[in-house]
Amino acid sequence: MSNGYKAGTRLEKILAAGKFAVTAEVGPPKGTDPEPVRKKGEKMKSACDALNVTDNQTAIVRLCSLAGCALLKQVGAEPLMQIVCRDRNRIAIQSDVLGAISLGVGNFLCLSGDHQKFGNHPTAKNVFDIDSIQLIQTLKMMRDEKKFICGEDISGNTPMFIGAAENPFADPFEFRVVRLAKKIKAGADFIQTQAVYDVPKFARWMKMVCDRGLDKQVHILAGVIPIRTSGAARYMQTSVPGVAVPDEIVKRMKAAEDKGGADKKLKAEYGREEGIKLTLELIEQVKQIPGVHGVHLMAVGWEEAVPGILEKAGLLPRPAVEAG
Amino acid sequence: MQQSTAPVVQPPCQNECPIHQDARGYLAAIARGEFDRALEVVRETNPLPIICATICSHPCENKCRRGKVDLPLSIRALKRVAVEQGKSPPPAKPKAQRSQKVAVIGSGPAGLTAAHDLAHLGYSVTILERDAAPGGAMTNFVPIYRLPREWIKRDIDAITALGVTIKTNHELGKNVTIADLKKQGFNAILLAMGLPVSRTPGVPGENSEGVMLALPFLRSVNQEGYRLPPDKMVIVVGGGNVAIDVARSALRAGAAGVRMVCLEAPHEMPASPWEVEEAKEEGIDINCSWGPKQIIVRNGKLGVLECKKVKSVFDAQGRFNPSFYEEQCTLIEGDIIIMAIGQGSDLKMLPDMGVNLNERKQLVFDAKTMTTSQEGVFACGEVTTGPGSAVRAMSTGRRAALAIDGYLKGEKVVFTEPLPLGELAPEVVNGVKRIERNVVPAQDPALRVKNFNIADLGYDAVLGLKEARRCLNCGNGAHLIEEKCIACLTCVRVCPYNVPVTRNGKVDIRVDQCQACGICVAECPVNAIGFRMPGVEDIPQRIETAMKGSKQELGFYCSYDSYYLRGVNTQGMIGIPCLAKIDTKHLLKAFELGAERAFLAGCMDADCPFTGNLEWAQRRVDTVNSLLKDAGLGEGRVKMLKVEPDQFKNLTQLVAAAFQPKEAPKG
Amino acid sequence: MIKATHKRLERINEMIAPHSEVLVLGCETCTGICLVGGEKEVARMAANLRLLNRKNGGKKTFTEGVVRRQCEMEFLDGAASLINDADAVVSLACGVGMQAIAEHFPNMPVYPGNNTAFLGLSPELGLFSERCVACGDCLIDRTGGLCPIARCAKHLFNGPCGGSVAGKCEVSPDVPCIWQMIVDRMMRLGQLSKLEDIKGIRNWKTNDAVGPRAYIREDLRSTPPKLDSVVMKPVAPKGGAA
Repeated sequence: MSNGYKAGTRLEKILAAGKFAVTAEVGPPKGTDPEPVRKKGEKMKSACDALNVTDNQTAIVRLCSLAGCALLKQVGAEPLMQIVCRDRNRIAIQSDVLGAISLGVGNFLCLSGDHQKFGNHPTAKNVFDIDSIQLIQTLKMMRDEKKFICGEDISGNTPMFIGAAENPFADPFEFRVVRLAKKIKAGADFIQTQAVYDVPKFARWMKMVCDRGLDKQVHILAGVIPIRTSGAARYMQTSVPGVAVPDEIVKRMKAAEDKGGADKKLKAEYGREEGIKLTLELIEQVKQIPGVHGVHLMAVGWEEAVPGILEKAGLLPRPAVEAG
Repeated sequence: MQQSTAPVVQPPCQNECPIHQDARGYLAAIARGEFDRALEVVRETNPLPIICATICSHPCENKCRRGKVDLPLSIRALKRVAVEQGKSPPPAKPKAQRSQKVAVIGSGPAGLTAAHDLAHLGYSVTILERDAAPGGAMTNFVPIYRLPREWIKRDIDAITALGVTIKTNHELGKNVTIADLKKQGFNAILLAMGLPVSRTPGVPGENSEGVMLALPFLRSVNQEGYRLPPDKMVIVVGGGNVAIDVARSALRAGAAGVRMVCLEAPHEMPASPWEVEEAKEEGIDINCSWGPKQIIVRNGKLGVLECKKVKSVFDAQGRFNPSFYEEQCTLIEGDIIIMAIGQGSDLKMLPDMGVNLNERKQLVFDAKTMTTSQEGVFACGEVTTGPGSAVRAMSTGRRAALAIDGYLKGEKVVFTEPLPLGELAPEVVNGVKRIERNVVPAQDPALRVKNFNIADLGYDAVLGLKEARRCLNCGNGAHLIEEKCIACLTCVRVCPYNVPVTRNGKVDIRVDQCQACGICVAECPVNAIGFRMPGVEDIPQRIETAMKGSKQELGFYCSYDSYYLRGVNTQGMIGIPCLAKIDTKHLLKAFELGAERAFLAGCMDADCPFTGNLEWAQRRVDTVNSLLKDAGLGEGRVKMLKVEPDQFKNLTQLVAAAFQPKEAPKG
Repeated sequence: MIKATHKRLERINEMIAPHSEVLVLGCETCTGICLVGGEKEVARMAANLRLLNRKNGGKKTFTEGVVRRQCEMEFLDGAASLINDADAVVSLACGVGMQAIAEHFPNMPVYPGNNTAFLGLSPELGLFSERCVACGDCLIDRTGGLCPIARCAKHLFNGPCGGSVAGKCEVSPDVPCIWQMIVDRMMRLGQLSKLEDIKGIRNWKTNDAVGPRAYIREDLRSTPPKLDSVVMKPVAPKGGAA
């Protein structure tokens, strides 16, 4: 873009200005009602610099991320469109990107996608025509060369702020940094990480990232998932691929809930309280790690807690950015 | 007795046996409780089964490949099981008779074997025996406690039943000559005169009163019931089997004690180790590495044998040539000395009859043709080989019979020796289940020295079965049918013994290594594995036969349990040498032919010599059940019955109970 | 080699319902080797079909045969009389052999007795596992000789997804993460730096993007063949975005 920005989105401007960015996740409904997305957008728009709309997350069919982004735009929130490689080939993906740009979406996150085995259509055939790194390449090519993969020209402008994900807790640990470098080389402008619970391990990873100078080439937003109950912590520990929850966190949540005794309501309240406390601690800790430029809150099904958490974390109000 | 040009490959036990007895064959039969068949197999090659089952030096056991795993099979004891439990009669004499006559001089193991073989070849045979009783050394010299005389008679009777005439008290050179025999129309004469004369060491005092020679001593104990005067200490000089026989006979003949003296160190003693062991058990004192120097007579009575220490028995060339520490001497006290240092022949009558001896007074003999210097006169036995075992003498008798047959037919006879199977490979040895050798029961040493009853009691049938199962079935198992093999490697992967290997892109089932467990045969997906052991390849035909007459139920049992199934009606059931040789296709075939249900009954006990076989059999039962179930053809139509040996008698009830519909739990 | 499994007996029984003389025809090559196509499997399948047919009161007859390779017309010719004597063939070959019968015997119905599973190997007795998807443009030079297209649940080209934990794939704790194996192997081979290069977007024309594939060995032909598939050309050196 003529103003020097790649897309000129709020998220890009915040990061470019060297400010600590905040994004959060919005899960679309398993249905056609636009209201849930709009409501979440309303609640979070002033607390976050961009809102991720997931793309059939965990391979469960939901309202598409493109429509979700459009609904957020309607309420004045800044959308970040997630795209997975699992369900669409290069033709469909490029087409969706064109559509999104035409509707004013400027932030994109390129993902491989959870395997369909985990979703509600485990007998589906997956696509994976291109992988997430090639998806980054594709978006970069569309933006910088204004060309499709096939080499043909794209008409119109193609402003995009391109994101990618990385999981510092997956294996092979050493290779995760190499992979991050590949994503940067492919064209990633920012990274949202998998949820961080094991802060020392994340710090070790960040150190490797900084040692390679990658923090200078990309903005890293640390992923944080606020936990409400010990059950959720346990579930994430055992059943969510790629998320590493240390035992102490499960124990800590359990201990908090136990203070509520037999009273279920009280129990839940103590749990929520402890979860928020934990989230605030995590945000505070990751903020201190060199190279971390923001946080990404994935409060799946608990989006209403996000503004409160950010408030307590001292991240509100969000800084103003120049218009245009 | 192979005459084809290509050498035959035999299991090591069979190959090592001088008469190449099919030990594997009779062991397999015993293992299945087929004692009659076992005896039949023994008789196919052995004209003196009872004698061999009792006194054979069993070289087979030295080569038994189980010896590499734990301990060799007790093959001789198993032969005794065959002769004691088996009821099959000796083969009848052939119908086609030849006009020629053969005279055999001597009725020891060599002469009897030759006579037996010649009779089977159709010749008319007459044996001339110089003693009053036939049997040669076996009758005269082998102690009664090792070989009851009645047993010798049974073997000899079987030979005379073939039409062989034995003329006792006929001594060559005394009442008959070779010329006489030729005049009488004998077309060939076979000298099988053995080594009937004891040697003496040639030491001062050896002609004293109280010094005896081994063979006359044994003969008088065995034949005349000679007993020693009371309270005499006996010294036996010699370290061979005859010396042991003398020593043990002396104990039984009333010696107060027996001391043996021999030149050889313990490991050099020519006597069989087990004979030495048995002598020791009976309290015989063995003094090794001493050579007799002189016999000292005290007070006109024999008192002491002076011995000198042996430096070495053999010289640098390995020849028998003892040397001594002349000044290192010892005195061994005793009242009677029996010299058992070797035997020689008595051939002095031969030169006068035109049969030549060499300068060392030995028979001029050609081992290739078994001939002597005189046309039509052949020889065999220890006169041709020197001292040795009965079974070796028998093998020369067999050769001589073939040589005479060739001579009388005007054909040239070439003897080809069969080859042994190779050694067991270490990786195969590792896979073979260790099974302890079953000790052959014997009379208590303290009791047996007081009588002349047979010391060795032998196995009973059940112990025999157990011991026979230890046989590794060398070379009697799987072989690849190369043109059918698709190299899927299933055999390579299922074999618990690593027998099949890949070589140059092909599968090689090493026949000489196979343990005959049969897992691969049933698992091969293209029927490319053949099996030598009887009772496996014919399973489909046996199923067809069994299913004739619209049977509802088809049973398979482990042939190794046949003995326990005596008295159970196994008519229409199929015995398989270990149930792991059952293939899913066999079971399906039974159903195709109309069976409603099938069962497999097996011992399932620790005696199963194989590794993993029961598991594989179970797996096939499960596979067929699941195939049938998946096709909606019913559930549990094949049952695997694990039966304890003592429960086989109730097999019918066990089968009925297995197929009984399960009662619904009450309440 | 091609690995296959048996179809369920009931399914096969349904397929052959209209026929009275059925040939069960095995193949001694790939399916023989993976233990679903050899002589014994044919016998087992035929026996089972006979039993089922008898139970249902049918009067069908089942014959048995095996050919060296069902996918070769010359070998099929050797079994022509067997095939022509039947009303239908149940093939225990792979999908290739089955179609060879369909092509070579235009009037003979052929039914699959097997499901063709994948290209793979049998690392040990009774285990068959996939190794290759026959994509037509082998890239394992970059991945230490291990194929991420065949063995990664997401066919990723550029490294493991975020679900690789302790050497296992997120789809199943039984499945090793091939990318972990690739990284380990490249490390052993001293070629880890190769993995830093981005494998660009690939040309799937060699795989299944063009319909049925064919290739021609010009050196073995003097006349152009009668084509039934799209002739594959060697992939352009750059491979990536075309």
